[in-house]
Amino acid sequence: MPFWFARGLRRGIVTTRYPARPDQSAAWLPTPPAFRPGQLTRQDADRMVAVCPGPALRRRGDTLVFDAGACTACGKCIEAAPHAASSSGEFELATTVRSALIKEIPIRGGLR
Amino acid sequence: MNPGPNETEAAAGQLREMIAAQFGRSLHIRTLDTGSCAVCEQEIRLLSAPHYDLHRLGFFFTPAPRHADLLLVTGPMVRAFGVAARKTYEAMPGPKVVVATGACALGGVYPQDPFVHGNVGEVLPVDVWIPGCPPSPLALLHGLGVAVGRLAERTPGLTFIAGEGGAA
Repeated sequence: MPFWFARGLRRGIVTTRYPARPDQSAAWLPTPPAFRPGQLTRQDADRMVAVCPGPALRRRGDTLVFDAGACTACGKCIEAAPHAASSSGEFELATTVRSALIKEIPIRGGLR
Repeated sequence: MNPGPNETEAAAGQLREMIAAQFGRSLHIRTLDTGSCAVCEQEIRLLSAPHYDLHRLGFFFTPAPRHADLLLVTGPMVRAFGVAARKTYEAMPGPKVVVATGACALGGVYPQDPFVHGNVGEVLPVDVWIPGCPPSPLALLHGLGVAVGRLAERTPGLTFIAGEGGAA
């Protein structure tokens, strides 16, 4: 009780921290893919871009451009090339800059 | 005259500090559905369930934009709704925050559909973007934390390359 009273007197402190404890259900959430550039060929990249139902993936030369904001975590790109991508486990992706969600993935054999 | 990028950045920083100071423990949210499939709304509704318990963090839902500090926008912004969205934003007292929620609002699902703007940013000045289809309640809580400057942003540090930058 004195602990909560003292905590309540402080300004700007939340009532409970976030997350109060790790959430088990977080492990079951569908999450955007994470890519393995060492395994990712141009053919893989093109196949992924072809199956992506939205504008989340596109290829620009030897770079796969991934827009995590447009990704619906459907998992079709992971199915298309399971050796080159897997679920990332990242879902807390809120950002104040839209362009921070657009990531560039180098493709194997590229010039980068 | 339009302010330069530096002035805009400084103003945004000031606004963020003001919001953190004023709304640290009491921030009222108005949700705005601009043509979403209602799954984002389901996830938002779950925030007030005991498991997530939004109110413990000092966030509350309000039915009127005139009482709201934060506009939580879902959906791809149907063209017919643009005026209403604008009016809702103008009815809110300042300082105010706009949070675009879900892949639709971020331009990920209907980027070129003739009936929608395709991106909430085309109609409203968005401050925080929450991706996900739908964003889980945990992602929404994190987004609200980012909006009031209470939780750090993680996205710029992520690379989405396996074994790098925190992504598994």
